[in-house]
Amino acid sequence: MRRAFLPVLFAWAAAAAAPAPAETAAPAPAVPRFADETATAGIDHTYAGDWEYMVGGGVAAFDCSGDGRPDLAFAGGAGPAAVFVNDSPTGGPLSFRPVPGSGLDLDAVTGLWPLDIDGDGLTDLALARRGEDVLMRGLGDCRFARANEAWGFDGGSDWSAAFAATWEAGNAWPTLAFGSYIDPAEEDFPWGSCTDNRLHRPRPEGGYGPPLALAPGHCALSMLFTDWNRSGQPALRVSNDREYYKGGQEQLWHLEPGAPPRLYSADEGWQHLSIWGMGIASRDLDGDGLPEYFLTSMADNKLQRLVPQPDAAMLRPEFADIAFRLGVTAHRPYVGDDPRPSTAWHAEFADVNNDGLDDLFVAKGNVDEMPDFARADPNNLLLQRADGTFEEAGDRAGVASLLTARGAAVVDLDLDGWLDLVVVNRRDPVEVWRNLGTGAAAGWVALRPRMAGPNRDAVGAWVELRDDAGRVQRRELTVGGGHGGGQLGWLHFGLGESTVAEVRLHWPDGTVGEGVPVAPGAFHILAPGAAPEVWAPPG
Amino acid sequence: MIDRRRLLGAALAATGLGAGRSVLAADAPAADAPAEARAADILHRWYRLVLELVRHTPTYSPPVAARTFAYLGIALHEALVPDTPGLRSLAGQVTGLLPPPARSGCDPAVLIDALLARLVAEFFANTGPTGQRALARMTERNRARATAGVAPAVAGQGTAAGLALAEHILAWAAADGGAVIENLGFPEHYKLNPGPANWVPTNRIPLQQVPLLPYWGSVRPFSMPAGDACALPPPPMYSEEPGSAFHDEAMEVYLTVRSLTPEQRAIAWFWSDDPMLSPTPPGHWLSIALQILERDAPPLVRRAEVLALLGIALADAFIACWEAKYRYDLLRPVTYIRRLIDPAFETVLITPPFPEYPSGHSTCSGAAATVLTALFGAPFPFEDRTHEDDGLDARNYGSFWEAAGEAGISRLFGGIHYRSAIDRGLEQGRCVGGHVLALRTRA
Repeated sequence: MRRAFLPVLFAWAAAAAAPAPAETAAPAPAVPRFADETATAGIDHTYAGDWEYMVGGGVAAFDCSGDGRPDLAFAGGAGPAAVFVNDSPTGGPLSFRPVPGSGLDLDAVTGLWPLDIDGDGLTDLALARRGEDVLMRGLGDCRFARANEAWGFDGGSDWSAAFAATWEAGNAWPTLAFGSYIDPAEEDFPWGSCTDNRLHRPRPEGGYGPPLALAPGHCALSMLFTDWNRSGQPALRVSNDREYYKGGQEQLWHLEPGAPPRLYSADEGWQHLSIWGMGIASRDLDGDGLPEYFLTSMADNKLQRLVPQPDAAMLRPEFADIAFRLGVTAHRPYVGDDPRPSTAWHAEFADVNNDGLDDLFVAKGNVDEMPDFARADPNNLLLQRADGTFEEAGDRAGVASLLTARGAAVVDLDLDGWLDLVVVNRRDPVEVWRNLGTGAAAGWVALRPRMAGPNRDAVGAWVELRDDAGRVQRRELTVGGGHGGGQLGWLHFGLGESTVAEVRLHWPDGTVGEGVPVAPGAFHILAPGAAPEVWAPPG
Repeated sequence: MIDRRRLLGAALAATGLGAGRSVLAADAPAADAPAEARAADILHRWYRLVLELVRHTPTYSPPVAARTFAYLGIALHEALVPDTPGLRSLAGQVTGLLPPPARSGCDPAVLIDALLARLVAEFFANTGPTGQRALARMTERNRARATAGVAPAVAGQGTAAGLALAEHILAWAAADGGAVIENLGFPEHYKLNPGPANWVPTNRIPLQQVPLLPYWGSVRPFSMPAGDACALPPPPMYSEEPGSAFHDEAMEVYLTVRSLTPEQRAIAWFWSDDPMLSPTPPGHWLSIALQILERDAPPLVRRAEVLALLGIALADAFIACWEAKYRYDLLRPVTYIRRLIDPAFETVLITPPFPEYPSGHSTCSGAAATVLTALFGAPFPFEDRTHEDDGLDARNYGSFWEAAGEAGISRLFGGIHYRSAIDRGLEQGRCVGGHVLALRTRA
């Protein structure tokens, strides 16, 4: 295979002008205060294991108990996975309890993602494992049962650490993608031993047939089905760990209904990029209707924006890296005295200060005793300024943990409208912080699109929220990305000082709803053709 | 059959160093054939791992890789001297190397395995968890291979000798000024030289807003008396005037990139040799030598001799090259072209994060070609399969200088070097190779 050498991270980087990050006159964003409630929240869990668990270690945030609160399930690595039910009072201390006999206590789990696979209204879990991947059917009350056999799912036997799902047009069940990593049997020369990723398409009658190989695999650590060009047809982005592939790169797969998946080529505009790809976060940051992609790596991270193109109907996947300019390279520790480069894993956009601008959380941690990379590597909380640049606030917010992080979720655990934080650490306990707010009034809304039919959670929809200043926030509903885990549940939007918000849904089937008002400070369930239904937290 | 002795004499005469001395004869004393075969097998297994570790250890930029190759090669040669009549130690010839601990009568496979296991573990102590895991497996399995059928007492003797020599080499290496690589080679504090002719960062990677290893020109050389022993004339005088020599060279890069042929593009990619994505340029040349040694299967002492002299040549080439790079501190073509010719200019290859003149590829290729031509002769057809695993087809060459010339011009095709950096770099490499060929490996 020939390859076009274009941007390559870190070692020698693609030639480009190198302006310093823009000086900004934008006011400093309000910094939320996070209270560390790790010791009291009732979660006692560690992502354990040695070499085969140096990657993975995610958390799934979703409601499995049926009370509307996000519960948490964790990968355990060499230890068992675990689920914890959320009993937190609204706006009160975080409180969780384990679920004995949940059925989720499998070992070798590296990542887990929530979605309703069989469309029964109960959220299921896809487990990526060092070994056979497993689909767990949700039974209610945060209990799960293995469903591989019942659903005809062949979990293989590879070392998986990435997952994504989408509902292809006309299908009742989702299409699943599992990302594979190294062949662990290659002990002497593991480099170049990446195994193929797998694509599981549903059968018409439900369940799955034999998987398709997404070959070549380049040691995927994050995957995301995303409608990068707003064509209505998601493609599969795969972020790969260059440490282990040869001749590899980042990937984007065409996924056309009924056709075999095929890679975007250089002729189509896909640019060679080789990074230690570990996590993907996406969000339309600039309001142009197209998602930007944050890619985590080592020593440097990427924020990709589609380059301006003359024909919006024929977009090519040509991206420019704007991380440096916007101040989100997050390439070395910002607290302590460790000058060595950082190692980034899970990344997630979320508005933690409710100012209507998406912020960025990045989980950090050394791979495993890599002496050339930071040992004390604080997680990042990068707050977006009004001019689109970001500033570091992890230390001021109180979340600059120096433990060895992997997965994370930025999620409103106590349903008070302020996003809380849970971080999975390798060989150290999970940490949990409660967001106590900024001290200033700032509005928010939480939305939950729901559809009749199999894709109940409207995966693939785009949500547009317009505030009274005319500012529009857009968000794609995805399953996948991050590192080792994801969320399903309330979509949180900060509103800042806005007192009015209007929401419009682009549903996965292509229909576009009317703009409907939603009241700030409340939870709303959205359904096609229906007025928003206000939901109140229990208690 | 090629008369290597005659060719060598001619090569040495051409350098003006050691003319008429056949110090590099390919023949070797008779040895225990099974032990030789075991030792050669062990050697090549270790070197295969070394090339992987170079690719996967974050501090291994080309100068650092070349330094390690030199120490490994010298150690191999020194390991064989006591038991090989006619071999001459490099102690007292390469700078700072004292005579190794005395010993005799060792099994070469056990000796070489113990030696390389210790050296590789130390030189790659900072590799990641997967490298450490592979190192552990290689150590365990090579040990089993090396000692298969060897009496325990003999194995113990060889192991002790290998470890003693390894410690001797490591103590020598520790003081050369290149042992500690901080911040992946990018200094925490560095002041860029002001002025339009000087190097400025060419990418948006925060770490690379300062250049790589600016002190490397002062690292202790092996065969050269000092880092500036192969000093270069300055590059064409900086000028922004169309028609000036400097502007003409920039225009050549610009126009070449704009009209690149598929073959030129393939050449650029083939020799790109980016750190962390390849074994680096010196690793590429080491790979070429290893492929030839595996193909031709010469005696063990010859393999060690080749690896020693080539390693020294590569290491000294980067010291000489880096000394000149920071002496002249010249801006890269991408900077000049975007500033004065075409703001939208894009290079074919990735512009490395350090000054332009001379071309590191050219200096190291010139040094490698000088030494390998002396060792193997010219013409010397060979196939280079270094990048097959990465999907790049093998390329064939009729001589080492043909390959070196292609490696050099590949940097112009890639849009990252002016022609002077290539031509003068190859000349500098020839000078470095001359110093290497003045060393005597045979009595």
